[in-house]
Amino acid sequence: MTQPATAPADGAARPATAPAGALVDLGIKACAAYGREDLAARLGKARGGLDDPAVHIVVAGEFKQGKSSLINALLGMAVCPVDDDVATAVPTFVRHGADKTATLVYDDNPPRREQVDFADLRRHVVESDQGSRVSRVDVTVPRKILAGGLVMVDTPGVGGLGSAHAAAGLAAISVADAVLFVTDAAQELTRSEVEFLRQAHELCPTVVCVLTKIDFYPAWRRIRDLNASHLRMVGDLPLMPVASPLRARAVRANDQALNTESGFPDVVKFVQERVGGGAATRRSADAAAEVVAVCDQLVSQFSGERDALADPAGAQRIVEDLNSAKRRVEELKTAAARWNVTLNDGTADLTADVDFDLRDRIRKITSEADDAIDEVDPADMWPEMEEWLRARISYDLLGNYTYLRRRATELSEQVATHFHEASGEAVGLLKVYNPTPLVEERPLEHRIELAKMTAGKQVMVALKSAYGGALMFTMLGSLMGVALGPIGIGIGVVMGHRGLKDEKKRQLERRRAQAKNAMRRYCDEISFVMGKDSRDTVRRVQRQLRDHYTGLAEELNRSTATALAGASDTAKRTQAERQKRLKDLDAELTRLRQLRERAAKLS
Amino acid sequence: MTLVERTRAALTRAATVYRGSGFDQRIAEVRERLDEPLRVAIAGRVKSGKSTLLNALIADRLAPTDAGECTRIVTWYRDGHTYRVTLHPRSGAPRQLRFTRDDGAIEVDLGGTRPEDVHSLDITWPSQALRGATLIDTPGIGSLSERVSRRAWELLAPDDEETPADAVLYLMRHLHAKDLEFLHAFHDTEVSRPNPVNAIGVLSRADEIGVGRLDAMASARRIATRLATDANVRRVVQTVVPVAGLLAETAATLTETEVRQLRAVAALEVKPAEELMLTADRFVNTLPELGLTSIEREALLARFGLYGIRLASTLLRQGALTTATALARELTERSGLTDLQEVLGSLFFERRDVLKARSALLALDSLARSRPRPGSPAVAAEVEEIVASAHPFNELRVLATLRAGWLGGKPAVVDELERVIGGTGTAPHIRLDLPPDAAAGQLRSAASEALLRWQRRAENPMTAHEMAVAARVAVRSCEGLLADLNGRAR
Repeated sequence: MTQPATAPADGAARPATAPAGALVDLGIKACAAYGREDLAARLGKARGGLDDPAVHIVVAGEFKQGKSSLINALLGMAVCPVDDDVATAVPTFVRHGADKTATLVYDDNPPRREQVDFADLRRHVVESDQGSRVSRVDVTVPRKILAGGLVMVDTPGVGGLGSAHAAAGLAAISVADAVLFVTDAAQELTRSEVEFLRQAHELCPTVVCVLTKIDFYPAWRRIRDLNASHLRMVGDLPLMPVASPLRARAVRANDQALNTESGFPDVVKFVQERVGGGAATRRSADAAAEVVAVCDQLVSQFSGERDALADPAGAQRIVEDLNSAKRRVEELKTAAARWNVTLNDGTADLTADVDFDLRDRIRKITSEADDAIDEVDPADMWPEMEEWLRARISYDLLGNYTYLRRRATELSEQVATHFHEASGEAVGLLKVYNPTPLVEERPLEHRIELAKMTAGKQVMVALKSAYGGALMFTMLGSLMGVALGPIGIGIGVVMGHRGLKDEKKRQLERRRAQAKNAMRRYCDEISFVMGKDSRDTVRRVQRQLRDHYTGLAEELNRSTATALAGASDTAKRTQAERQKRLKDLDAELTRLRQLRERAAKLS
Repeated sequence: MTLVERTRAALTRAATVYRGSGFDQRIAEVRERLDEPLRVAIAGRVKSGKSTLLNALIADRLAPTDAGECTRIVTWYRDGHTYRVTLHPRSGAPRQLRFTRDDGAIEVDLGGTRPEDVHSLDITWPSQALRGATLIDTPGIGSLSERVSRRAWELLAPDDEETPADAVLYLMRHLHAKDLEFLHAFHDTEVSRPNPVNAIGVLSRADEIGVGRLDAMASARRIATRLATDANVRRVVQTVVPVAGLLAETAATLTETEVRQLRAVAALEVKPAEELMLTADRFVNTLPELGLTSIEREALLARFGLYGIRLASTLLRQGALTTATALARELTERSGLTDLQEVLGSLFFERRDVLKARSALLALDSLARSRPRPGSPAVAAEVEEIVASAHPFNELRVLATLRAGWLGGKPAVVDELERVIGGTGTAPHIRLDLPPDAAAGQLRSAASEALLRWQRRAENPMTAHEMAVAARVAVRSCEGLLADLNGRAR
């Protein structure tokens, strides 16, 4: 992706989207002038996307690797609480704001928000014994580095990378723009860290590994080299060694040399340019593509009338063509349209396949857990069993989710292709009889292939609303409250020697049966809740796609209808009126063409 | 008859039953084990600092340590008259190996045997520290992929198996208590099985917790205290002690040269010293006027770590410590090793007869059950008799039940129970929660009061069944205490 020429070096990303913003505003004005509120609304949405740039950078990693310290050092102020013992327990979203504020978001329906004192943040963010239902904390701080819409997300490292929490983290990563993976220089990347990185890299293309605490570990260079070779296997991820305390010191003393020594300039540069700037470019491109599409619609609306005006003899034929185009576009809107059939059939298949995948996974887990329980005494292993089961299920749920995501994207692409084919035909009719050089030079290719660009995007919109809070993972914890005790273990003290062995065996069998029951009930519950959740998600994806393409068909319909009305009118006009109208239309078309050109350059 | 005597009697009976069956050697080994020092294994995941701690405990750099994974073979370190290394292959006869020791660690020449074919190495070394306990260094518990592994819970159940070690030190790094890795840390079943009666947790590499700040050990102590109250931890270890292993090892083997080099650092002004020790890189590369070469500085870092250098130079600057010996003592104290040795003393060594008898009985039981012969059922019955009736075992069993959280009751009562049955140490003053210098009369009256209290609890119909059983054990403990104290008085 190319950098926009205006991308500033200081990372204030707002100006980077300014040209695109101006362009969209022009487009909105044009739409309003031509009485196309529907298209104006569409551009309004694009404008909103530009104004709310929100680039999410998720900071992930094991327990106690210095994630919160990294964010604090990066921002140059103490935002996330740091402690030797207790860890961050709730995800913290740090964004830009004029004042320091902190807001707790509770896991209610609808989510409840409560403003708290910034100084009290520590009490709410670190883990505590009483289970609170705070699902995340929103923090705003007045830091320039965040001004471009950057949101730093501090994640809990609780439970290690093989745990349910980690799976929840990965689910969050799947909708993030970039990931900073934090590992300290105490030892090389562990197997679970590499595995986590691999999965994270699959879900989010931009992942950077940050090596922390290089001030404390003398052998950090060796660890760095070892890590670099591990990272090559994951996919050549960049590795940045840093010392957070040095950066904090450098910021306090305003010491440039110390800052360089801390290794932070690299991280800052990465965050600002590759993520901040890159995202701005991407957003500009998206908005510009919308403008191009809207221009094309408007051009097609006028070109029919213009052609009829320029060639009065052929006017009747043009009207006929437009009529047939209108019929086709109307067909697009019906339930029998091919894209609609594809969408409906595909959704049914998708639901069935995802459900089967989930059941299959749960079935495998159940049988594995059965075997494990047969091998051990649940009285010993229950806490570990619980964690293992929870982690195992989380990972399979994540696998199921990834599967759903992939299949939904495929479906979306298919629907897009079919819509494009059908609409292309209709739109093609509009351009066949275009005698003027103006349009000939630039064959009116209707860029309904928004398709390619938005195919995945529509799915992501649906998924983001479904997985915004990674809801499924938060409920995992609440179900597993199965207690196996108290078990009459003191019996050994009472019964003395004889029969002790048999009694023990009997009790062990009972515990195993109990454990298996509990485990099965838990898995049942999970597949029930998850089944409902994924069906809802698929339905949401379907609705999103349907609304999107119906909307497009509706816009096309209006464009065609307006063109038809214009072309029909020409017959009633006098010669002078025709000449005047032709001149007007040419002027309009030239303006539109210029706008389109500018937009095309940006997209 | 004491427990050890009863155990010996059972062994004698077994020796008669198994005479000429090919198991004479096995029984002789078990009998010898009763007379040997206590065997303490050091277990934990890879890179948790096992070999470093072992060196600190022996006060000699015997075990090779390295930043990479280092110990691959189970190695026994025991006291002896000569320096000797014996290799026990997985199959075949043990043989002696050549070894060298140039600078610190012993380097053993396996003589062509592949490490995976070696069952264990046996290093005999004349050492004061090894006279009290034989130490077993273990390779870290392997990969994460390893499935939930088997672990027996019951303390002295007849279906338990014998383990080579009598007691275990579990090394854990600072992990979250819900971490699977953390729970796995107790799954080293090769040399011993964790159990709250014969295991102590060590929060290792404690200086890393505060990233080398001077107050890092205070943080570590706080964390260890919290860990020790965690339900998952309580069921497997008695207590958790923080140790900065590297510093402990270095303190135990401190040289005059090193102290001289540290004095040069301590002689700096506070400001440049702080700048110098800000990062490991700076310590090696800046301030050439310090008069130490970069090689010397790297060596210092490798021996002390940044935390050790910061701490030692601060101590030296304060001027209270004038000799290398004084500095070594202070560093040992600060590293947490002194605390660990005290805990080892009160929880392992004072109870070594019980722990060793337990190991011997387990071995005997598994033999009697797996190799039946005429007369072997009687051996098994005798073992079961001892296990079920010997008071020390009843104490341990109640302790295990209590630690597993299966003994309900008021927290104050449960705490008192744990003390009285010797859960925090077996010395009378510890059991009675009195200061170490308590007078005999004071101890006696406290013991009588405790006896009455526990009798009341045992007989009270409102007491829950399990607590009543435990209270009866506590009554016996009190009676034993009184008998001891009266015997001492006479």
